Amino acid sequence: MTKRLLSVGMALALTIAVAACGSSSSSTSSSSGGSSSSPLVGAGSTLVAPLMSKWQSDYASKTKETVTYGAIGSGGGIAQITSRTVDFGASDAPLTSEQFKEANGVEQIPWALSGTVPAYNVKGAPKNLKLNGEVLAGIYLGKITAWNDPAIAKLNPGASLPSTKITPVYRSDGSGDTYAFTNYLSTVSPEFKSKVGASTTVKFPTGVGAEKNDGVAAAISQTDGAIGYVGLAYALSNELSMPLVENSAGSFPVPGVKSVTAAAAAVSKIGPNNEISLAGLPSTAKGAYPISTYTYVIVPLKTEKADALKKFITYAIGPAAQEFGPDLDFAPLPAQVVAADKKAIAKIGG
Amino acid sequence: MEAGALSTPVLRARRNLTDRIGDPLLRGLSGLAAAVAVVLLVAIAYEVVHIAWPAISKFGLGFLTTNDWNPVTERFGAAPFIYGTVVTSAIALLFAAPLSIAISIYLTELAPSRLRRPVATLVDMLAAIPSVILGLWGILVLGPFMHDTIEPALKSAFGFLPIFSGDPSAFGYLTAALILTIMTTPIITSVTREVFETVPGELKEGSYALGSTRWEMVRQVVLPYSRAGIVGAVILGLGRAIGEAIAVAQVIGGASLINASLFHTGSTMAAQIAAQFQGAPGALQQPSLAYLGLILLVFEVIVNVVARLIVQRGGLEDTDVTPTEAGAL
Repeated sequence: MTKRLLSVGMALALTIAVAACGSSSSSTSSSSGGSSSSPLVGAGSTLVAPLMSKWQSDYASKTKETVTYGAIGSGGGIAQITSRTVDFGASDAPLTSEQFKEANGVEQIPWALSGTVPAYNVKGAPKNLKLNGEVLAGIYLGKITAWNDPAIAKLNPGASLPSTKITPVYRSDGSGDTYAFTNYLSTVSPEFKSKVGASTTVKFPTGVGAEKNDGVAAAISQTDGAIGYVGLAYALSNELSMPLVENSAGSFPVPGVKSVTAAAAAVSKIGPNNEISLAGLPSTAKGAYPISTYTYVIVPLKTEKADALKKFITYAIGPAAQEFGPDLDFAPLPAQVVAADKKAIAKIGG
Repeated sequence: MEAGALSTPVLRARRNLTDRIGDPLLRGLSGLAAAVAVVLLVAIAYEVVHIAWPAISKFGLGFLTTNDWNPVTERFGAAPFIYGTVVTSAIALLFAAPLSIAISIYLTELAPSRLRRPVATLVDMLAAIPSVILGLWGILVLGPFMHDTIEPALKSAFGFLPIFSGDPSAFGYLTAALILTIMTTPIITSVTREVFETVPGELKEGSYALGSTRWEMVRQVVLPYSRAGIVGAVILGLGRAIGEAIAVAQVIGGASLINASLFHTGSTMAAQIAAQFQGAPGALQQPSLAYLGLILLVFEVIVNVVARLIVQRGGLEDTDVTPTEAGAL
């Protein structure tokens, strides 16, 4: 009897001790959180990841505040911010109206600017082959199947073109590059829009799918006659051979930060929810690169971490952060977008 | 004397204590471990169904036969991926099974004993190549070789068959199936080798004594004796082939349509999930991928059960031949 009482007493004491430990540890963690504020957590776009890692270290050294970022892909970023498991999401494709509704009270803010470029590998074809949107759409619809097709020959007068079969290569995983590329093709080709459409993954009627930028690059390099599309930074740093794509002004700008900047400067229309499409460029923009794209940060309008979020995004769109861009093949945001962003940031509240 | 008389009840008391605590403790801990495994399996199955629910309620069983996967129009179906999974796994086993049996016969009956261990180790080490590395090798070496040499040869010889029609391609069903052959061969080999080693020496010697040649002995003694084990091994390989995601996603070309030609690009259930789940936007794409995962789970469970039944019927309960580690989920 006494033994049993003793053991019950001991068990009780143990429970209380454990509970006390638990509560004391949780109270210390919450008090430390209050003094230096818990770090911001974000997830999403892989395209923005290299720029983000620069921002993280620079921001930490300037403000002593850390930002954690998981490059899990744009779709994952949208899903995570919708379920509020992160403080911000990042996506290369703007939210659809359906996604907006589902995410219930979020805002998207364009915070970086880059481009998607075609790359090709054709033995016997000239360097910097000239292509345009209709030809690219024809290739990806399976209508243009050989490199000496009259449509390609017409854009490259005098060039000797081999009769090699064209193998279009696309991303088989969800990707902001696929969105930028298909959004561009849908803008220039009504047929592409109705048959394929624009999204982060689409159903191409022909071609070969490969995983990620490096998979696409490998597939291109291993296949004579292949053409694919990759992120601007990836294409430039790996020195892939890139065709020149005609813009609305009829010129063939070299893909790079300069021509992407020109494209952003040429478009002043900011759509609902800060969505900006750079696919339909005005015909006056001579140096503008036609497949340029904004990438967005998605934030909840109501959040406990409103102040920290505002501070970080204000930093990210500011000149100090945007200056890291060109080295990583991102173009700086134009002034009117920064102004619109500032208005959007002001709407974030607690 | 006194000490001895005293120590016996003390020892007994102590043993009583360890008996009282030890047995329930052992039962509790081991029971808990077993329960965790069961609960985990049920929880995973529940979660897959839960994520897949929007797609299940929208598409129903028609999902299984819909030959489409279009995120833009939000029309999803599993047929292209079920087809891809079945075709690539079947071709892989078609190559891997005879190859593995041949390797095992060589290692158990024919190879000089000095060679047996190193060769067996090397074959086992094939299984240790990370699948992503094998996939890279597929992109850089095997794919171009298929495109330049194998597929043109097949086409010129058997081009009248629909499965060998169309343009040769570095990416496609056939390349993926060969990668799966390389991945399943070491698994099937290591199981069949062990099964062959259990064939009693008296039976083999009896066969030789009757004047059998080596081939006759293998055909009349080793193979019939090991039949259940061989089938179990092949199904173990099948589980691996069905569930492999990364290497297949790298070389199969990620197309979401059924195509008769083996040279053509396609995809499998596991590869499609691996490629698209993370970046899947939209309200239906992720549920549809989870629905694919559910079908894959059912496939693997069936394969597992069939393997177990065959092995049991063959009276080989001792040999543990069940594709437990083959699941992709």
